[in-house]
Amino acid sequence: MLDVKDAAITDDYIDPVTADPREFAAKVNAWVPHDIVLKDAWFPLAHSFAITEKPVRRAIYSQPYFLWREGKTAVAAEFHPSEGLQGGKSEFTDAAGRYPVIEKYGYAWCWFGNPANAAPEHIPSLPYLPEDGGLPLHMLGTVRFDCTAPLSLENLIDLTHADFLHADVVGDEKMDKETVEVFHDSETITMVRTCVNKSVAPIMRRFGGVKVDVQQVRQVIRIYLRSHAAIAYGRFSPGDNVQLFHPCVPETRDRTRLDYAINTRNVKKTNLFRYLMPKASYKVSRQDSYMTSPQSPRYMQPEKRKDLHSPLDEAGQKYRVLMLALAERQARGDFAYHVNVSADCSEIIGYDGK
Amino acid sequence: MAEAWWAVARSEEVTSAKPINVDIGDQPIVLWRDQQGAVHALEDRCPHRRTPLSLGCVLGNGMIQCGYHGWTYDGATGHLKDIPNLKSDVKFPALYRAIPFAVAESGGFVRVCLDAKAPAPLLVAKTLPLSGTVNVALEHEHYIAALFDDPSLVLAIKGVRFTPYLLAELAEHEGKLVLERSCQWAGFHWPSPFSSDFPITLRIATDPVTGECDLLLRDDGFRPLLFATLAPVPAARGVTQIRWRATLEDNRHGMRAKLLGAGTPFSVHSTIDGAALRVLKPSASIHAATLRNEITARSAQTSAA
Repeated sequence: MLDVKDAAITDDYIDPVTADPREFAAKVNAWVPHDIVLKDAWFPLAHSFAITEKPVRRAIYSQPYFLWREGKTAVAAEFHPSEGLQGGKSEFTDAAGRYPVIEKYGYAWCWFGNPANAAPEHIPSLPYLPEDGGLPLHMLGTVRFDCTAPLSLENLIDLTHADFLHADVVGDEKMDKETVEVFHDSETITMVRTCVNKSVAPIMRRFGGVKVDVQQVRQVIRIYLRSHAAIAYGRFSPGDNVQLFHPCVPETRDRTRLDYAINTRNVKKTNLFRYLMPKASYKVSRQDSYMTSPQSPRYMQPEKRKDLHSPLDEAGQKYRVLMLALAERQARGDFAYHVNVSADCSEIIGYDGK
Repeated sequence: MAEAWWAVARSEEVTSAKPINVDIGDQPIVLWRDQQGAVHALEDRCPHRRTPLSLGCVLGNGMIQCGYHGWTYDGATGHLKDIPNLKSDVKFPALYRAIPFAVAESGGFVRVCLDAKAPAPLLVAKTLPLSGTVNVALEHEHYIAALFDDPSLVLAIKGVRFTPYLLAELAEHEGKLVLERSCQWAGFHWPSPFSSDFPITLRIATDPVTGECDLLLRDDGFRPLLFATLAPVPAARGVTQIRWRATLEDNRHGMRAKLLGAGTPFSVHSTIDGAALRVLKPSASIHAATLRNEITARSAQTSAA
């Protein structure tokens, strides 16, 4: 379905966020996420536990992936094993019709792009997930968003939506002060939201043993642009930290699959929050989809009418521009990574291992 | 539309006992079968006084006779052959004729092309045993879009629930518009938005011009369970006429798949839920028009070359 061109490594990278304010604004408003198909990326297509001898079928931008185990090794192929290798094999697979696969962090990561460019260092750093997996099943799950993957991520990186859409789970907008900082490079964007004296998240009040009225909150969203995968890390005081991995796999350009992991091993075993927080995804994802599903068709075609923005949209705006810049770079044949996304990002997200 | 072959009738609907009327858009067409079994298609309008030829009858010689004044036409050419009350053997000028259309019959469908000189379509060898015809008060393009975005609005497969999730979005494949939708068996189960995998899929391959679709239901082992052909044709007043044929695969694995054979495995709705349709968000269908245009433009270029 898609062409794969050879990577052309260039060192003349110009930061699209700082290059030209007018161009930046134009790109923010030229956002047609439906048209963005980034290649040469690892996607966490399945939890490791889901891969057995029986093939399961997954997709990235409609490109078929069949995953199963041969012995203990996970394999991914373009065709169902009962079909065998078909004549129409794409450029995404090797001569045997197989994709590069790596198991890490409890996921089978499959490469979408030129197989020759698949390298382990392009797998994102996820500091709070055990590299060899092994999280209990109650911390893992699958939810789906009825929208295009970049809209899911733009929704995530603007956490002010949570105060309204998910107020019954994570708390409302009442707080004394809110600051948002945004950091980026060519492959990632990181948003840090600090809230002073924010109303306590109901799920923490009811099940997490938090008895006070307000919390100090530091929330970090870090998106690995190509992989459409995000870290959502929240520090709550008082309260337990929330360690969510939020990968948005674009099964098609208008549907997103999310095989999430919420590592609540940091929470006491006697605390219900440890078991219920991962299940909150079922509620939160439907709340998100309630908004992003009708939003999605409205971002499928270019529009002359511009979106309106507030200062709180900085992260979302930069996310748009960085995604477009990557897409434009790939359209020119440049698929190179200019940063090492697998380098430990603990310091960036403020994760101290606890 | 002129060069397309439209499946305007199921074979069993066309007999020599009585002509029938169908439409392709605003063009009314009369169909009948002669004594040798060949199907004929003329404009459904007697050139004499514009009455529908379908109100007439099929004569023993296979010609169609207008029920108003008895003018009689040859099915293959549309030429007027007789005006009974003239009581003469006069030959009529070539101008005296009803407009004929090209006809082809295969796979249990009668197809008509408005261009009488169009090359014959590819023959379909197999006639699927289950069949039906419905008239739906929805324009052809919207009907196809509804099928793409939510098949449950237009059809039902026994025991099958369509999910909002696609394994392959609408794309061109060998000249057709193809998508594949994840499905669940009906009944109590984990909701689709929280399901990791689905046991069945429905593949829909659609002709970009006519919207005629081949449907393939298969299980997660890639084994076929049901085949169907859905032939929507634009008719008068924005109605879409749908003829369909279907068959179950004999060798179906699993209890739910086997139960497909009990009762009516496949049906097409004769009405569409307007309330559900109004709020149906365009998804799979949204690029259909662009894809159609690309395919037809390429086809036109190829023909010109």
